[in-house]
Amino acid sequence: MMSRHSIRIAILTLAFILLPGCAHYIVNDRSQNFDAKSGYRFDTLDRSELNSDSLFVCLMFSGGGTRAAALSYGIMEYLSDTVIRVDGQEKRLLDEVDCISSVSGGSFTAAYYGLFRERLFEDFRGRFLERDVQGALAGRLFNPVNWARLASPYFSRIDMAAELYDRDIFDSARFEQLQRNGRPFVILNATNLGVDRRFDFTQEYFDALGSRLDSYQVSRAVAASSAFPYLLTPISLKNYPLAEGYNVPWWYKSAIKPASWTTERYNAAKNLSVYLDKENRYIHLMDGGLSDNIGARSVLNAFGRGFIRTRINQGAIRQLVLIVVNARTQSEDQLSRNEKSPGFFTVAEKAATVAMDNYSYDSVTKLREALYTRCRPKRTTRLALRCFPNSVLRPPSLLRLQPISIRM
Amino acid sequence: MSKEYLVALFPRRRRVMINGEFMGTTNRKLELESGIYEVTLGFPLNFFPEKFNIDLRNTSSLMPLIVEFTEVK
Repeated sequence: MMSRHSIRIAILTLAFILLPGCAHYIVNDRSQNFDAKSGYRFDTLDRSELNSDSLFVCLMFSGGGTRAAALSYGIMEYLSDTVIRVDGQEKRLLDEVDCISSVSGGSFTAAYYGLFRERLFEDFRGRFLERDVQGALAGRLFNPVNWARLASPYFSRIDMAAELYDRDIFDSARFEQLQRNGRPFVILNATNLGVDRRFDFTQEYFDALGSRLDSYQVSRAVAASSAFPYLLTPISLKNYPLAEGYNVPWWYKSAIKPASWTTERYNAAKNLSVYLDKENRYIHLMDGGLSDNIGARSVLNAFGRGFIRTRINQGAIRQLVLIVVNARTQSEDQLSRNEKSPGFFTVAEKAATVAMDNYSYDSVTKLREALYTRCRPKRTTRLALRCFPNSVLRPPSLLRLQPISIRM
Repeated sequence: MSKEYLVALFPRRRRVMINGEFMGTTNRKLELESGIYEVTLGFPLNFFPEKFNIDLRNTSSLMPLIVEFTEVK
């Protein structure tokens, strides 16, 4: 007969063997019916009384770990302290922010503001910026209780990180809370490792996945956006059959035709088509910085064919402000002053960052082009712009934008 | 990011629908990416032709592509 002690050991051993099979990442929910007027998309978000469409402000928060989170936090403080007057009403520039596109470290600040608003200025520093999150993650990693879970092929370090973010930073919030809060529209960017393309946590992408975003944890989206390669593992999503009644976005059908292959929207259509191909049953996401380290591409898409474009054409947007918060550090070029060729680690660092930096530069150039083709600087006022009206049948009257003074 | 320009002319102010999406109003310049589009107007359906299929390219702000709808009485 087995003693009680032996039985306990047997049960514990059995549990240790079976537990790995139980540990599984949180799976995104399937969507049964498509509804273009619901879910987390720009058009479904309410505006606060202080937010006007006429002044449309988009922020872009770059990657760069806690440094990026801290820099974007500082910018939010400045925006909060900057008083402007729009249509005769005095308000904070922060109240006019309509969208925030973020990557990696910047996603913590963006998501926190999207969820908790003014609390950002009260407790974000203590809960995230000044906290040793890396140490807390390492603590979990070295906890033997988690070893069994980590042995599962369906549960990895990123899922543990997401649990930590969920409990300690984001209070288990889901995207429905972001939706309830209204503008700004927070776009958390990640990278789809399968096709090396950008992925953003918006209902438009989840529509193509046949999935609902509103019930998904914000913490997991932030974890995907900030899943630094090697240290962390990818976040996985399931790609379901399309929900009943699904319609592709208005620009998609003509953009995916081979005749459009020279256009930017062809690339956007190819991106979406990855998820419409249901042979791709799983999507594995990592750090958004791998595909766009400043979060500019989703804003460029919105400007090209998305919610910014439609509002410009509908005449709702009179003034467009795009603010890029780039936490990139650049030290003085010492390599070119030294005869000795750079060492292994310098070359490794350059290999990892040069392409990314050039892509970021290209993104910012595109943003500048987008603005300057519409506007020309007015010499008498530093940041005021004079724009041409977009009416051809009316007398050419000039729209003058109010000067905005931003202390930075 | 180059833009193309389109104007849908109509005797009245009416919604302009691009590929079925409300994109602006008649007699005003719209900015779009280059490409193939279906242009039509919003309700009521008292206009002709029913739609234009256009290949929008090589336009400028001063020389937009112009499509003209006429009112059907």
